[in-house]
Amino acid sequence: MTTAELTQRGALPNPDVGKYEDVNRDVLKVLSRPGKGWWILFTMAAAGVGLFLTSWFYQIYKGIGVSGLNAPVGWGVYITTFVFWVGIAHSGTLISAILFLFRAPWRQAIYRASEAMTVFAVMTAGLFPLIHVGRVWHAYWLVPYPNSRFLWPNFRSPLVWDVFAITTYFTVSAVFFYLGTIPDLAAARDHARGLRKKFYQIISLGWRGTDREWHHFSKAYIYLAALATPLVLSVHSVVSWDFAMAIVPGWHTTIFAPYFVAGAIFSGVALVITLAVPMRKFFGLEDYLTVKHFEAMAKLCMLTSAIVLYAYMTEYFLAWYSGEPPERGSFWNRVFGHYWWANWIMLTCNGLVPLMLWVRRVRRSIAALFVISIFINIGMWFERYVIIVTSLSHEYEPWAWGLYRPSVVEMGILIGSFAWFGFWFLLFTRLLPPVAIAEMKEVIPPPRRGRVKEDAA
Amino acid sequence: MSDGFARRDFLKVVGAGSAGAAVAGCATEKVERLIPYVTPPEEITPGVATWYASTCGECAGGCGIRVRTREGRAVMIEGNPDHPVSRGGVCSRGVSALQALYDPDRVAAPMRSGPNGFEEITWDEALDILVDRLGTGGRSLFLTGRKGPTEGGFLDSFVDAVGGRRVIHDALDDSALRRATDIAFGVNALPRYDIAAADFLVSFGADFLDTWLSPVSFAADFAGMHGVDHGAKGKFVFVGPRLSLTGQNADEWIPARAGSEARIALAVAGELVRRGADAGPYTELAAGHGLEEAAEAAGVEADALVALADQFEAGTALALGPGAAGHHQTATAANLAVLILNAAAGSLGRTMHIDDAPDAEASSYAEVADAIREMSGGVYGVAVVAGTNPAYSLPPASGFRDAFALAPFKVAFATALDETSVMADLVLPDAHPLESWADAIPAPGTYSVRQPAMRPVPAYDSRPMSDVLLEAGRQLGHDFGAPSFHDYLRGAHDAWLALNGEAAGLAGDPSARWRELLRTGSVSYTDLTPKIAALQAPTTAVDFRLPRLSGDGDLTLLVHPSPRFGDGAHANRPWLLELPDPVSKVMWHSWAEMNPATAERLGLRSGDVVSITSANGTVEVPVWAYPGIREDVVALAMGGGHTDYGRFANGNGVNPMELLPEATDAVSGTLALVSTRVTVTATGAWRRLTSTEGSSDQDDRNVTPAVALSALGHAAEDAHDAEDAHDQIRELQEGGGFRPVATEGLAEDFPLPGSDFGEYDREGPRWAMAIDLDKCTGCGACITACQAENNIPWVGEVQATMGREMHWMRLERYYETVDASHSGPVDIRFLPMLCQHCNNAPCEPVCPVFAAYHTPDGLNAQAYNRCVGTRYCANNCPYKVRVFNWYRYTRENIPEPMNWQFNPDVTVRDNGVMEKCTFCVQRIREAGNRAAVEGRDVRDGEVRTACQSVCPADVIRFGNIRDHESQVAAAATDERAYRVLDAFINTQPAVHYLKKVTHHEVDDGGH
Repeated sequence: MTTAELTQRGALPNPDVGKYEDVNRDVLKVLSRPGKGWWILFTMAAAGVGLFLTSWFYQIYKGIGVSGLNAPVGWGVYITTFVFWVGIAHSGTLISAILFLFRAPWRQAIYRASEAMTVFAVMTAGLFPLIHVGRVWHAYWLVPYPNSRFLWPNFRSPLVWDVFAITTYFTVSAVFFYLGTIPDLAAARDHARGLRKKFYQIISLGWRGTDREWHHFSKAYIYLAALATPLVLSVHSVVSWDFAMAIVPGWHTTIFAPYFVAGAIFSGVALVITLAVPMRKFFGLEDYLTVKHFEAMAKLCMLTSAIVLYAYMTEYFLAWYSGEPPERGSFWNRVFGHYWWANWIMLTCNGLVPLMLWVRRVRRSIAALFVISIFINIGMWFERYVIIVTSLSHEYEPWAWGLYRPSVVEMGILIGSFAWFGFWFLLFTRLLPPVAIAEMKEVIPPPRRGRVKEDAA
Repeated sequence: MSDGFARRDFLKVVGAGSAGAAVAGCATEKVERLIPYVTPPEEITPGVATWYASTCGECAGGCGIRVRTREGRAVMIEGNPDHPVSRGGVCSRGVSALQALYDPDRVAAPMRSGPNGFEEITWDEALDILVDRLGTGGRSLFLTGRKGPTEGGFLDSFVDAVGGRRVIHDALDDSALRRATDIAFGVNALPRYDIAAADFLVSFGADFLDTWLSPVSFAADFAGMHGVDHGAKGKFVFVGPRLSLTGQNADEWIPARAGSEARIALAVAGELVRRGADAGPYTELAAGHGLEEAAEAAGVEADALVALADQFEAGTALALGPGAAGHHQTATAANLAVLILNAAAGSLGRTMHIDDAPDAEASSYAEVADAIREMSGGVYGVAVVAGTNPAYSLPPASGFRDAFALAPFKVAFATALDETSVMADLVLPDAHPLESWADAIPAPGTYSVRQPAMRPVPAYDSRPMSDVLLEAGRQLGHDFGAPSFHDYLRGAHDAWLALNGEAAGLAGDPSARWRELLRTGSVSYTDLTPKIAALQAPTTAVDFRLPRLSGDGDLTLLVHPSPRFGDGAHANRPWLLELPDPVSKVMWHSWAEMNPATAERLGLRSGDVVSITSANGTVEVPVWAYPGIREDVVALAMGGGHTDYGRFANGNGVNPMELLPEATDAVSGTLALVSTRVTVTATGAWRRLTSTEGSSDQDDRNVTPAVALSALGHAAEDAHDAEDAHDQIRELQEGGGFRPVATEGLAEDFPLPGSDFGEYDREGPRWAMAIDLDKCTGCGACITACQAENNIPWVGEVQATMGREMHWMRLERYYETVDASHSGPVDIRFLPMLCQHCNNAPCEPVCPVFAAYHTPDGLNAQAYNRCVGTRYCANNCPYKVRVFNWYRYTRENIPEPMNWQFNPDVTVRDNGVMEKCTFCVQRIREAGNRAAVEGRDVRDGEVRTACQSVCPADVIRFGNIRDHESQVAAAATDERAYRVLDAFINTQPAVHYLKKVTHHEVDDGGH
């Protein structure tokens, strides 16, 4: 591609960034001694992690009864938040792996942050099944391990599929993430001093930037990208089968897998926007994360929002078309029942608000995108809440219908999970280059003959 | 049913020798530790249950029970199928006697009130004080509850000997009925009703299925009269302002104004007289009452009363009542009118019998009021209270508390302190009925004995009151001819046999008879009581006008006994507190029932807390809107609002007695429960009702379909409907590429294709259940029995409000037709819902660790120890019968010694695991092991689940459905059989329901 083409597609950073050393300087500056703002945020996140762990240990000590769960609503905020975080985890891999394979050049500036987001989101999501079960000390029974009693997990249960899906996804995305950072870690190593240098020396695995290394690196990267790509689709499909495989009216539907994958990408991209906007601001990365990048992400949101909205409408239509009273009752209850407000929050945030993205001016306004992305985050959390809670509260037996209200502990864990995520993300911004240095260099004009290369990278 | 039970040769009901010895104190060791014994007592084999036949002491009904004991501890109460009155049934209150036995609030030792409250003393000191007071304190007042004939007789002779007066107080007073019988037939006794012999039954508000006289026995009779499986289905009409549980079982409801019973009964009798019937000396009186006027007075349509008269004329009719709503200031008149109606309808001698045997154990509120006056007047030096709680169950307006406080010395015999005994100067811990001897004559021709099922619970140093009084009598120099009450009872038994044995057909050795009596629990004999065959002329003037109501306000207050707590005596039992009220489905707290139209008029909805004010007081209670109550009535159940009863009862709900004035029926002296109007005002507060009710509307799911009587017999079309539905499912699934499993068959379908591995075979038994909804009265005894058998904890009000009650069984109640605005059919459906043990269970494939799995004999099993607690199974259970241990309920809620009641055969579940109905797998295994040892198959009827073994209406069948001769297989192939939701989702449950049969046309809606 020519430079003109790349500029056209929004791949390029600001034209002022013309030299490799500029990239190194600007990105690695982020890794310098943190400022006051970072410390405040980090303290808040650490406090939130404290809240998270305290709530969880209190729950383990007292019993899962400290949640608001009951019969018939046996799954609530925990599983909602689990699905929310799994969904968030999707855009990272989508942006880094799928867009890499499709050679979408605008990904370079954001993929590192979104990959980090993926890893941390899976780390967060993976805790929720543990938080949720009644006897967490026996949760390892879901893992097939050899034992003297020949007891195996039930491979027909979608929850066991979940174990595989989540662990696989975590492993692959973590490896993919780490692999991609190695050249940049070497760059950081070359800049760092003292203890920090030691740290980067170890984790950069002795990267020297030789031709041979680059050759192997890019092969490994492309294979891992190919491996991660199907996972983007499979993980959330499996998560959706937790519901779709059950016979609960409102869950039992074939549309769930594509619907959930689209929703996951929708929410994931939205969170990337939510995180990228302040990151860009605080770390002065305006030259690297340009409006073009944001516009590209906004377009992805437009697409996935449309798919999700279509899925909602399909669900309503099919519930009516099925003629089955439990199915119809379930959806009637969703829209007009006790939890109508949750459903309308979902429809507004995921269906109506993103309609604004069809306006080019909105798509190109960072502030507007930031606000809309927060709406989408809220809406996607409520989407899962609606699916889980309203369906369970209104199943087959009218006598057994019931209501659920989240407890303080559940709220503590929900808020704490954001802090937990933020905790890792903040550490990431200080320890690893948040923008891919090497890949940025690929898209700026190559240095002219005669200039001195300063760095190995 | 009794056939099945007769074969239960394993049932080692231990007889006289050991039981008698147990009380004498030389057989069983103290039962503080379970095992091991160095020298095991003779009748106890560790691990094997010992059963004692006895008589329930929870109300005056006198039902036969069997108490299951393990290692010397009573663990379960079931109905005694050999008992001629209760016929194998027992109610929730009866089962919950176990919780009174192990009540942590029982009195631990004799206590004397001192300056710092009660102080414990020894029995010797207590006896010295008692003897001293009785001997020197002047006249004594003995205020007792109703006792058995022998104990009552003993008490009377004791009171005579020491000088004093005995007054019987029972808040569920039936003196109006006795008095009316006295007026009409000349004998102070209760009529005996033969409901099973009637084909047309009218209840004037008598709650004969929940609280009236002998509910368990009536429920069995009613099942015989009303259940279509007995042949012709009788018809039942309920006349009254509020549909109680009994009313909910009616086919028609005439929502008559409270107090109008006499007018309706007399008018119908008058109509019968006009058509040629004879009402003896009351013919003229009846003829003077017209239907139009009565309908006007009752606020109902005259047509409905004409129809009533038609049916009285046509069939073998029986009128019952009146019940709680008839306890007003002309209660005797109302009772008399119903007796006249029965006579005019020719029921006397056919469905209603009057025995010429006055009942000694009866007195009315008037006598209690008289005693209160005498107490205030200083007539008595000693006041003794035993087995009754007037400080709670009488309206404060009666002045009992003040009068009792004035008594110079107050003695209370009490198992646990209550509002009355807490005022006493001397409290003597009484033995619980399950620890003591007594007897009952629940019906003429039946003698029933109560024997101790275990030694007194060692934590409490209790002694039976009769034994204490015998000892006191001895010290006072009165000899009653027996060293202990056991001997007294035995003596009375032998003396009666010597006198009447020959004529009653009970000749022979009295000792052998006594042993046999202890083995079977009761004996039937030829009843020699003469019968009265005709009405006699009234001796007392009776006023048939509508009763007076005092107070302002536009709503009549209807105070009714609680089906769970009676008059409140059973209110300290967590099983009953957490048992959903059969009508409102509310647990723990009180509620005020009012018609939805009334609530709307007052701007109220369910859960709004209102204050209900009469001239006598105010209570604050949440509203529950109920379509089965007249618009001019607000109803409150007795039993709530205890202040000094026990840790579970105190503070729950309100006591409606606080609202009542001291109004009585002048003729009988009974306390009027419907005597005042009240004003209802919103307080602005709202609370979530602690209720199990999600929705009482089936919402087109048809989980409990019914079939009209007229459609019965050609209901094969319905079966086709169900099959069609399955065919549709199959077609759809085949379209999707699946080969669905077969659906129509019963045993043949099990095990399903694909489960052919492992031990699944087609040879062994396949356990299944059938529940006849046509006979289920919705009483909820099954729930309590299940809770007792399976160590199910209670969760408390807060948790239950969140929807976390742990019952493995629940009673769903759906309204189909309920309209208080005019007379007409009423159709309320009950659905006992328990784990359906689906062949094709949705819960099983989703469990990640195989905690939910299917056993080879068709049980849907739950391995508690394997459960991780994902709750996926509960989400996927369409019946919502799985319950979760959100906390360590068992450990945290159940205090010593209530945990003594635990069934050692059933695991106690801990925090974080799912549980559900097991079909009483411990009983299945027990029967299976026994059969294996004896080298045979398990017989049909040999396994009886806990719910089945208490059901008063004998609704439940359990057995091997693969055996086509079995009762359950027969029920499952009945034309009324259906399986809940099966047509929707192909779960293939093992529980079959038999549709309710209605007299009116219904939409049978096979899906």
